[in-house]
Amino acid sequence: MCSCRVFYVGYMLAELRRRWARTVLTALGLAVGVGLVVVVGALSHGLGRAQDEILRPLTGLGTDLSVSRPVDVSNTSGTQLTPTEQAQLERENASTQNALKNLGKPGSHFVREVFASTSQLSFPASEVRRIRSLDGVEAAVGGLTLSLVHVEGKVPKVVPKPGQPVDPGTAAAGIRNLQISSSTVAGVDVAVKALGAISPAQLRHGRWFGGGHDAIVNTGYASAHGVKLGDTVKLNKHPFTVVGTVEPPLGSQSADIYVRLGQLQALSGRVGRVNRVYVRASSGGAVSRLAGEIPQGLPGASVTTGADLAKRVGGSLVDAKNLTDKLGTALIAVGLLAAVAIAVLLTLASVAKRVRELGTLKALGWPQRIVVRQVTGEALLQGLVGGAFGVAVGIGAAKLVDALGPTLQATVSRTADTQPTGFFSFGQGSIATGSTNVALSAPIEAKVVLLAVVLAVAAGLVAGAVGGLRAARLRPAEALRHLG
Amino acid sequence: MDDAPAYELRRVSRTYTVGGAQVRAVREVDLVVDRGDFLAVVGPSGSGKTTLLQLLGGLDRASEGAVLFEGRDLGTMRDAELTRLRRTALGFVFQQFNLVATLTAAQNVEAALAPTHLARRHRRERVQELLERVGLDRRLHHLPSQLSGGEQQRVAIARSLANHPRVILADEPTGNLDSDTGGEIVELLRSLARDDAQTVVLITHDATVAGHAHRVVRMHDGRLEAVEPVEEPPGDAAALPNAS
Repeated sequence: MCSCRVFYVGYMLAELRRRWARTVLTALGLAVGVGLVVVVGALSHGLGRAQDEILRPLTGLGTDLSVSRPVDVSNTSGTQLTPTEQAQLERENASTQNALKNLGKPGSHFVREVFASTSQLSFPASEVRRIRSLDGVEAAVGGLTLSLVHVEGKVPKVVPKPGQPVDPGTAAAGIRNLQISSSTVAGVDVAVKALGAISPAQLRHGRWFGGGHDAIVNTGYASAHGVKLGDTVKLNKHPFTVVGTVEPPLGSQSADIYVRLGQLQALSGRVGRVNRVYVRASSGGAVSRLAGEIPQGLPGASVTTGADLAKRVGGSLVDAKNLTDKLGTALIAVGLLAAVAIAVLLTLASVAKRVRELGTLKALGWPQRIVVRQVTGEALLQGLVGGAFGVAVGIGAAKLVDALGPTLQATVSRTADTQPTGFFSFGQGSIATGSTNVALSAPIEAKVVLLAVVLAVAAGLVAGAVGGLRAARLRPAEALRHLG
Repeated sequence: MDDAPAYELRRVSRTYTVGGAQVRAVREVDLVVDRGDFLAVVGPSGSGKTTLLQLLGGLDRASEGAVLFEGRDLGTMRDAELTRLRRTALGFVFQQFNLVATLTAAQNVEAALAPTHLARRHRRERVQELLERVGLDRRLHHLPSQLSGGEQQRVAIARSLANHPRVILADEPTGNLDSDTGGEIVELLRSLARDDAQTVVLITHDATVAGHAHRVVRMHDGRLEAVEPVEEPPGDAAALPNAS
């Protein structure tokens, strides 16, 4: 470095020191803008993280698309199902039709458990293989979610007409002390741990499926029914040992009891059939294409993407994120513009106050570029000071947010796919709806700090360029006549 | 052009436009200033003295006529050439001292040397030497605000001498000083210029100050009215050169 630069830098520093009020004011203006960038950036990052935390279960388990074949039983026109599908539906729910047949002797106590799938048609597991073979699919596994309906009571004394079967509805109407309850049971393909209705990462207590008749229960179900690890739950009279509990996060496919897919298929008489396929795309870009392609091979299929689920997340978290994205960006823009304007105006004011000084330097033979560089350098230094101050203020504000840890709420709404639609559909494979709270943090990213410093330096350069241009235009003779 | 005079002005005029009106600050001035001359320009306020000095210093350009410095027409030189000329051949002393308030006495003198790319050690030595010559070797690190008016003007003189100029242009250097201090400053300026055989053009409205010069020219309404040789400049019995 030329030794003369030491002089110029010393001169710049001396100017900033002596005109400290102007320096502080300019630095404060820049600090406000830079601080806004840092804190809004941190808040945005924190909100993004919080949103990810909420959305991870929706898309997280590695699932980009979820395929099902919903049945809208509220649609009475019957046009939705083909005759084949109608027959399939009747076959699948035949057990429910027969649930109240052959109950035993009139007056005796009876217990019946049946698996029903009224809201989603099952389809062959070969569909899973077909989907897996599609271009853009990284992995695909099948799942089966059914309602286990438990009915018990006393057999009524109904006298059937000769030669006519007992109508279940009539029989049910005559049953005394009839108790009906249901739970949702999901079959999990354990071949791919990171894809499916639940994953080992969701375990709250206990362990993942082993080789036996293991069951993992929802924490809510466990709490409501007093189920503990090691207890036995019976599914259609078959005992399963509770080996773990999971907490299905908001928005995920929820069930009360999870067992291995093969075991549920066998128990429910649906060997080789599934009613949901979980798909992981090889890239984000393939998701929308697959969403259109998958139903072509499975008519009536409903494909839900992570983005579809994400759209259903609302609440103060989403409001805050939207606010940060929109208002935050506007705040940053306004803050930075104001900071640049302040820096430019104060630099111009500084040049105006130093007209005689700058004219004297020109009279002494300072080349134009050195005079401009001097003014620009001072503005740049102010930008750096403002940037450093702004980063400190921004980090402080972010730390304050961390310390206060305000709580934001996220809610997930129902969709038609998950809407309870009838007697046997409650809980079946529904999306876990409701609200959850998440603490807001404001993590500082190095790139945001870097951006803030770059912006501060840029603001200083803009101010310096404007001030330098003004200084460059000064005619020495006019400058020396200046009274300032 | 080694034999050319320091300055030769040929029918030089300078006209400004102020509020739409034409103001002729300098009117058809002819003047020759020889090398080594000590010329005082006197006249009332608004007579065009400062404008004339700025034309001589290449700080302003003539509207008409030619200002020749050592035979070179300043009117034909580019701004960068004029800047280089001011840096290498001219030294300025101003009435208001025009020191940079944020810099010390030494740094103010160094400001004139900074653009010359002189090594830092040599710059410091030169600064030290100059401030010693003006009697301020103990005030090197004082800010202008910590110096008296006379001391500030001494710093300004030291600064004007920093680059070994061939001409010193002083605009009312005693205007802000009391008469005793003003006398000291002019005598200092004269003796330093004599030591280095420098040409001095000094503007003043003070007859006593003008009395230190070899010659005095009088201005009125932008015109050069009279050239008056001084009989016996104090402390200098050198023969007076002629003026046109």
